[in-house]
Formats: sequence, C-alpha cells, structure tokens
Amino acid sequence: MSDTRGQGPGHAGPPRRSVLLGGLGALGAAFLATGCSQQGGAATAISSTAATGTPAPGGLLRIARPPASQAETLDPASSLSAYEYLGALYSRLVRVGPDGEVAPDLATEWDSSPDGTTWTFRLREDVTFHDGRPFSSADAAYTVRRLVDPEVASPQAGVLGPLLDPGSVEAPDERTLVIELSSPNFEFPSLLTGYNCYVIPEGSGGSIGRGGVGTGPFRLESFAPAGRGRLTAFPEHWEGRPVLDAIEFYSVADVQARTNALLAGQVDLLSQTNLDFATARVISASSRATIARSTNAQWYVLPMLCTQEPFTDPRVRQAMKLAYDPTAVLKTALQGTGVEGHDNPVPPNDPSWTDYSVDRDPERARALLKEAGREDLRIDLHTSSYDPVFTPMALAYKESAAEAGITVDVRTASADSYYTRIWMKKPLCATYWYTGRPVDQMLNQIFRSGSSYNETAWSDEGFDALLDDARRTRDTGRRRTLYQDAQRHIVDNGGAMTPMFADRLVGISRDVLNYRETGFEFDYLNIGLRAQS
Amino acid sequence: MIAFIGRRLLSATTTIALSAVLVFLAVQALPGDVATQVLGQDATPEAVAALRAQLDLDQPAAQRFLAWVGNALQGDFGTSLTSGESVSAQVGLHLRNTLLIAVVTVFTAITASIVLGVVAGLYRDRWPDLLISGVSLIGMSVPEFVVATLLVLLLSITVPVLPAVVLDEAGAPMTDLLPAVWLPAMALAVVMTAYIVRMARTSVIDVMAGEFVTTARLKGLGTWRIVTRHALPSALLPTLNVIAMNIAWLVSGVVVVENVFNYPGIGQLMLEAVYSRDLPVLQAIAVLSALIYVVCNLAADLGAMALNPRLRTRERSTS
Repeated sequence: MSDTRGQGPGHAGPPRRSVLLGGLGALGAAFLATGCSQQGGAATAISSTAATGTPAPGGLLRIARPPASQAETLDPASSLSAYEYLGALYSRLVRVGPDGEVAPDLATEWDSSPDGTTWTFRLREDVTFHDGRPFSSADAAYTVRRLVDPEVASPQAGVLGPLLDPGSVEAPDERTLVIELSSPNFEFPSLLTGYNCYVIPEGSGGSIGRGGVGTGPFRLESFAPAGRGRLTAFPEHWEGRPVLDAIEFYSVADVQARTNALLAGQVDLLSQTNLDFATARVISASSRATIARSTNAQWYVLPMLCTQEPFTDPRVRQAMKLAYDPTAVLKTALQGTGVEGHDNPVPPNDPSWTDYSVDRDPERARALLKEAGREDLRIDLHTSSYDPVFTPMALAYKESAAEAGITVDVRTASADSYYTRIWMKKPLCATYWYTGRPVDQMLNQIFRSGSSYNETAWSDEGFDALLDDARRTRDTGRRRTLYQDAQRHIVDNGGAMTPMFADRLVGISRDVLNYRETGFEFDYLNIGLRAQS
Repeated sequence: MIAFIGRRLLSATTTIALSAVLVFLAVQALPGDVATQVLGQDATPEAVAALRAQLDLDQPAAQRFLAWVGNALQGDFGTSLTSGESVSAQVGLHLRNTLLIAVVTVFTAITASIVLGVVAGLYRDRWPDLLISGVSLIGMSVPEFVVATLLVLLLSITVPVLPAVVLDEAGAPMTDLLPAVWLPAMALAVVMTAYIVRMARTSVIDVMAGEFVTTARLKGLGTWRIVTRHALPSALLPTLNVIAMNIAWLVSGVVVVENVFNYPGIGQLMLEAVYSRDLPVLQAIAVLSALIYVVCNLAADLGAMALNPRLRTRERSTS
C-alpha cells in the first residue's frame, strides 16, 4: 500500500495507512455513529486509558494492521521492517523508559570515558536467542557494526554513521561491548534506543529478514510480507515468560474494515491506526471495544522549506508563525484533545522540555511581511487524506493566518504518493511525527543542518553548535539546559510550525489488559486478556 | 449471422486492446513509480536507479508496452514487480475468490429479482408492487458500500452471526472463505436485484397484456401456470441483457465491497497494484475485466438471438 516508510526512525508513523477509500470509511463510520448514538448518546466521551489488572495466563492476541509493501522484512535494521513485530521478537541494548529516560535492556549498565568518546556497555548474562544460542557481546557488536554498513542502508546509519565506523566497535570479552566514537557524545546511549537497533545474532544478516531470531518475549512461527503472521511465547525469555501464549497479525487494508473487525470481535487490537474522532467515539460506545489513548504521542507540523521562496526570508517564516493561533488550530483539528505546541517539537512530558513560547501577534506578522516586501502574501498549503487531521489543521491555519493578511490556498494531494511527491518537496505542507524518541536524536535528525530528515531544510550554525555543545557536556543538568536553548532557537528561527501535540487513539478490545505504549512500541510482556467468566 | 458474430468479436477485441492501452497510459500518469514505492524514501538514488534498470523501467514506455503485449499474447503476464510472483498465478487465485462471491451474488440476485419482479408485475399498482418497486428504487440509489456497512452493523456487530472482515489470505481453501462470502454477496445482490426487478416487472406487464396470455386464460389455465409456462420465458428475454450487464458491473462493484470486507479477491489485488504501481498485475486485471465485460455482453446478445427467432431474422435481413 502507500508505503512511505522511509520516514526513518519514527517519522510520522503509520506509514502506510490505507487511504484510497478513506472517504468511504469515514462515511461508513458516520453511519455507524448514527446507528450507535441511540444507545450511547450522541456525544459519547472517548475513554482515556486501557484497563489494567491481572490477566488470565495464556491466550491469543489478534492484531489487525495495515498491509505494508510486499517487500517488507523482519530485519530490524531495514527501512522496510515490519515494525509491529519487532518489539515482540527482539530486545535492544537500551530502551526508553516510561519516564522518557534511557533504561537498561540487554545492557545492564554503561559508562563513558571522561571525555565522552569511549562507551563501555556491560551486558546481561543468561540471555538466549530463540534458536537456543546464548547472547554475547559478539552479537551486540555485529548488530551495531551492521547499522552503519552502507550495504544494509539502515535509516539509523544517518544517525550513527557520523559518530562511529565498524572498526571502532569491539567486544573485549563475552559480557562487554566497547564503542569508540569519533567525537565526544554523552547522549550516545539514547541513540541506540531506535527501533532499528534491535539485537540480532552474529552473522544472521542474510536470514534475519525471514527468520526473525531475537531475544524478545515471542518467537516467530510464521510471517508473510503484507500478510498474516504468528508468534508464540518464548518461555526462556530473560524477563520471564510473557502472559500471552501467542500473537497473530492480520493485514486489513481499509481502516473502516479494521474498525469493523474490532467491533465484531474478530480482532483485539488495531495497530498502526490512529483513529479519527468519529470512529473513536463509535468504538468507545461499543460494548466490545474501547480506546486506549496515548498522550502526546505525535506532533503535527506545517514545515516551511527554508530553501524555497518565500521562506528563504526568516522574516516571512516568523510572520507565518506569529500569524496563527495554536488554540484555534487545536480546537478545530483535534477537537481540543491535545496540547498546544507553540512551535516547539519537544513534547511537554519530555524531561528536557522548556515552556518557552512566543505569543500570537498578527499585527507584528503583518509588519514583518511588509518589511520583507511580501505584503498580501499568498501561499499554497499542501495536505492529503493520509492522516485525518491534516486537512482540518490546514483549514484552521488558513483561517487563523487570514487575520494577518496571509492568503493560504489549501491544496489536497494524492495520499499514496504524499511522502514522495509533496513532503520535503513543496514549500509548505502538513505532516506529523511520532514522539517518544530521545531529544538528542530528534533534534539532530530533524533540525540539524543537512540531516536526511531535516524536513524544513533549515540550516543554522548557532543551533548546530548548541547540539554539539550538549553532546560534549557530561553534566546532565547542564546538557538539559543546552537542549532547552536549542528548543528556543527552533521556536524563534526555525522553519517548522508545530501547532499541537495529539493523543494517539488506539482501538482495543475491552478484554485486553495492560496495554502500555512507549514511543510507538508496546509492552508485549505484560499485555494479556481478561479472564472469561 | 456469422457476419454478425464476426463483427461482434472484432469490436470485442478492439475493446480489450484499447483498455490495455488506456490502463498503461493511466499508470504512466500516476505520480511515482514502482522503484520509489518499493524502496521507500531511505533509498539512495543509486538503489532506485538500479531497481529501475532491473525492472526495465528505464526503457521507453512504448517499448515496454509492446514487450508486454507480445508476452501477454503468449499467455505470459510476467511477474509482479513487488512480490516477484507470477502474475497469472496471483490473478488466478484472486479471481477464484471473487468468482465465489460472484456466483452466490448472481444466483441470489436472479432468483430474488425474478420472483419479486413477477409478483410486482402481476400485482401492478397494488401494494405488493408499490412495496417492491419502492424498495428496489432505494436499493438502486444506495451505494454498495453503504449497504455493506449496514449489513456488517446488522449481522456482524449487533447480531454476530457472520464475520465482518475476512482475515484469511488469498490462498486459503475455499471452505475457509465460505463463511465470509455471504455478506459481500448480499451487499452486491441488493444493488443488482434492484436493477433486475424493474426490468422483470416491466417484461411481465408487457407479456401479460399479450394475446397469447388471453388465449391461455380462455383455455382455462391458472394465473401461476400461465406465468411459469408462458409469460416467464418471454419476460426473461429482455431481462437477460440486464443480467449480463450486471455481471459485468459486478467485476467493478466488487472492488469497493471487497475493500470493505477485506476480501482477498480481484478487486483487492487491483487496489494493491494501484498503490504499489505494480503495472504487470494492473494490466492483467484490466485486460481480464475487459474480457469478462465483453464476453458477458456477447453471451447476452447471442443468448437473446438463440431464444428469439424474430431477432435472428431481423439480423439476417440487415446483414
């Protein structure tokens, strides 16, 4: 389907949602909504959290997901990896904890040399791969080297490549991994939390795409690209046996069909599906399914390409930002279910977030445009049905910016080629990213000069210097201050307008217990099903 | 007669050839190609160029089209650009699944519509007719995905007796797919029935006003006997054409319905092929659809000719 997964470590996310018939699906949802309103009340509130409790041991969790391309693979390093499977099959050296900090996974502890160039990871003992082989530092070293191998073409190579080369990764003994960096970096461990960094057995690069051998809580029973797959519990998993006996994945192209499957009790969870509000209300009102809300799970952006007219002029960019009212955009596009972004891409629940913001000022925007010789600015804003929020966001922006004398023409592009033809090509469009990644990776990958996912093509030496300073700074508090300075720099000078952070609305069965999401991966170990009475 | 058949065959072939050309041109006009679609945005320009060369996408469009036609004439529809599997096998499998729906739909729709049409015709302007005509008018105007959604709401969610979506893959045994066939077939049959009912009703009214019916009545035959033995065969004639047109429509209507039910048929395969710009699959499906369309029409015409001697003579006199 519309596979635009090159969006890297967590670009905008459900990358290949079925879109051609999205309009039909929405209509269908509206029909269902009317059908259900008699019992549920027209304004059914969307539930906020998934149920927790003690699940029944065992059970089968059935997950519907949008079909990816026929070329998808279980190789975690690949840009075409089937990432719904990854968290169940594999473990990383380190992961992001619920508090947003780097937490142990296969590595129990890590430390750097005083100058921040040599990193030593102590690895967990008594971990085995699904094929019975013991996990050792050789596997970890192989995995890291492979990430920067140009042959593998991993999206993570752009992040790690500038920092290390394959020769600088060593395994001095069974339980130790040493990585020599080319420049000091005290944020380095956070860069290994990306979903491309799952550990695979040494030498398995050729077979991992279909084999899926990892150290995760589930092992692979079957897998078909863009089709069905089945995983079974791995009893020897180092964290203990998972609650569930098995997980089955099904491919369902249409979002409405996925919703119907959940409502009819054919599946328990809709993965990679951020539901629109109408559908979410229908699901909340049903007796069989509910909504699990993932707070601030994604941020919505209107990136201005700083290399294209009229955004080459920083005054025009500033005017565009001053012109709109984030509260109004939030209200229209998300019906208020989110928080304002104030052009800062770091989510408010991130440990290094700063509350810096610039108040809306249409008059100042008007003056800036006049100064730049761009009075009566007229600009195309591209959107698509790729995500249900894009178009409402664009229209809300248009209305808001009109008060500053800016005329915005909203243009709808084809959804299945949106990320290849519009994004990073047109001067102004609508897009979004998943949150839940370390601040260093996010700022470096999306805002640093020349980075592959720098969607605004913004290039600012002062900003890059702040990031370099932060990486060189050992003191955590001081480093945090530098990342906050960097955020202010983005708000004042950057090309991205970030009106809001949105909750992700995930459809799950009422029988599912302990659904927890960190970033866009969930807790496969503790998720389970309610005991049937 | 033979000249007529020959002419029809010629126009049929032209239709199929034209549809292949049009589909090829339409896909060329789509933004993006299979190489960018398969590799995603992380792909280096070199990787995209290599894949394009490997798939012959760097050749001129006309040359690729001619090569494809050459192979297709020998029954080789090539391999899918995304899965690497044989197009014929893939299309065959999905077509089998769609035929399963089609057969159920056609039987349900024809049976239901002829019964309802005859009843409406016999009770012309009385309440059974008004009810049937009214409902069929609604059935005609409501798009099939709405019917499908309502059926799911009714029979999968409120009273869960049938599955809302198909979770099986295209290669699943027919017996596994069977429970999933009823809802899509019903959704399509509702729309199809609505059309045929109107046709059958008019035919029955015409025929019942005919002289031979009066004669039969005078002979003392009962109404139902007249209808089944005399009126129905004559009434069916013009209905045939409508049925044929509807079977052809089924091939396209099924795309929407298969998407709603996630049914692994030809419609779903076509959607996937459009998304991934999988030209060989798309062309094979287009040619196949054109073929079905043309064959259905041809069969309807020839069938009508075989059943109706007057049509046969008229054709002879004009040719």
